[in-house]
Amino acid sequence: MSCSNLTMWVSSKPSLSEASTLSSRSFITPFQLPSQSSSPTPNPSSRSSSVTPIHCNLRELRDRIGSVKNTQKITEAMKLVAAAKVRRAQEAVVNGRPFSETLVEVLYNINEQLQTDDVESPLTKVRPVKKVALVVVTGDRGLCGGFNNFLIKKAEARIAELKSLGLSYTVISVGKKGNSYFLRRPYIPVDKFLEGGNLPTAKEAQAIADDVFSLFVSEEVDKVELLYTKFVSLVKSNPVIHTLLPLSPKGEICDINGVCVDAAEDEFFRLTTKEGKLTVERDSVRTETLDFSPILQFEQDPVQILDALLPLYLNSQILRALQESLASELAARMSAMSSATDNASELKKNLSMVYNRKRQAKITGEILEIVAGANALS
Amino acid sequence: MTLNLCVLTPNRIVWDSEVKEIILSTNSGQIGILPNHAPIATAVDIGILRIRLQDQWLTMALMGGFARIGNNEITVLVNDAEKGSDIDPQEAQQTLEIAEVNLSKAEGKRQTIEANLALRRARTRVEAINMMS
Repeated sequence: MSCSNLTMWVSSKPSLSEASTLSSRSFITPFQLPSQSSSPTPNPSSRSSSVTPIHCNLRELRDRIGSVKNTQKITEAMKLVAAAKVRRAQEAVVNGRPFSETLVEVLYNINEQLQTDDVESPLTKVRPVKKVALVVVTGDRGLCGGFNNFLIKKAEARIAELKSLGLSYTVISVGKKGNSYFLRRPYIPVDKFLEGGNLPTAKEAQAIADDVFSLFVSEEVDKVELLYTKFVSLVKSNPVIHTLLPLSPKGEICDINGVCVDAAEDEFFRLTTKEGKLTVERDSVRTETLDFSPILQFEQDPVQILDALLPLYLNSQILRALQESLASELAARMSAMSSATDNASELKKNLSMVYNRKRQAKITGEILEIVAGANALS
Repeated sequence: MTLNLCVLTPNRIVWDSEVKEIILSTNSGQIGILPNHAPIATAVDIGILRIRLQDQWLTMALMGGFARIGNNEITVLVNDAEKGSDIDPQEAQQTLEIAEVNLSKAEGKRQTIEANLALRRARTRVEAINMMS
């Protein structure tokens, strides 16, 4: 009676083959985890899922149960921390709304006045593309499922695509995870390493915008693309590529013909509780574009005003991307940690079942011995 | 008539209340704005915003943006704004010195653009402190 051929599985992806080898080798099939296909990301502890048969006696089992219990506590805490941070991230978005709303309103109005003019601004200049700058926004920490990997893979795919088109490229990496990835690969030209920080603020966005701006204006690059993870919901987020520069003053905002726009659609996400569970709703709020005073005069040339507005718009777009990326990271961490917690409790349950059976078997054996001894005496 | 000033940055609302008069540094020089100003739209340079409340003048360092005036409402959209009283004088002075050194060391078009921007920001912050005292 031993459980020496039991194998330990700590994985959020139970595969059929694994389960079958398992059940053929052990007298019970305790470690079949419930299917958690909802999370596409293997939880971080899956690295330890090599087949390691354990020679367990009672004490070892007890220790193991204890360590699983501790791990569960940690993952549970990390999940809660991530949930609280999502709320903070949402607040940051809300605080930035008066700014972005007014900005869109003003851009709309100026755009309307500039419809007839041929606008030439350094940030809108479309040049033949020879070199592309990629701004890659990753997270600062791991333990968030495939969040960082998905984005880096997307970046790699884009780099390969640019290579096949015969274009040169450079990378601006934001976030520690991306930094360490690109540092390990010196053959990828990286222009700048930037750190994300806890909550993205205008300062960080400004640092990126400055870099991007000088690269573009000095004609070192002809196109700037932003790679970040778009936040869809708590369980879904997409790595996306967004062309940052050149800005098109006609396309980005509502024009006079009513052709729309991404700028007027202000999306933000809201954390609520639904039936005791945390969910995130994503609101899409249409900004009302009011007509302001028609006798508005321009102090400067309209082109100059556009010159002043477009960097603001650039900044707010970068800030938005940073905020989305942070929200996605936190959401990814939440789901990864919640599946890790589930796995830990399942594992704990199974281990304590084995433990109890072994204990029971031991007691039964001892009683048998005593009874047999007593019988032999009489 | 009262004049309402609203200074917005991507992070937060820096100022949203009534003022008597402001002096704004625009791309084409400083302009003073009193109640019942004609509606205008103007680009705001990296520079100082002076605000008068009753008899007291306040300064604010603005990091470039845009302003809209009309209907006794002033809306200033800027990348960053700091009240003069919130800036640490020593830190600002140090940043200015670093920026000056960086500009003298800058090579190539791109570094010069970057260094120039940084220098102008640093200088504005120092000016905002000096103007208060």
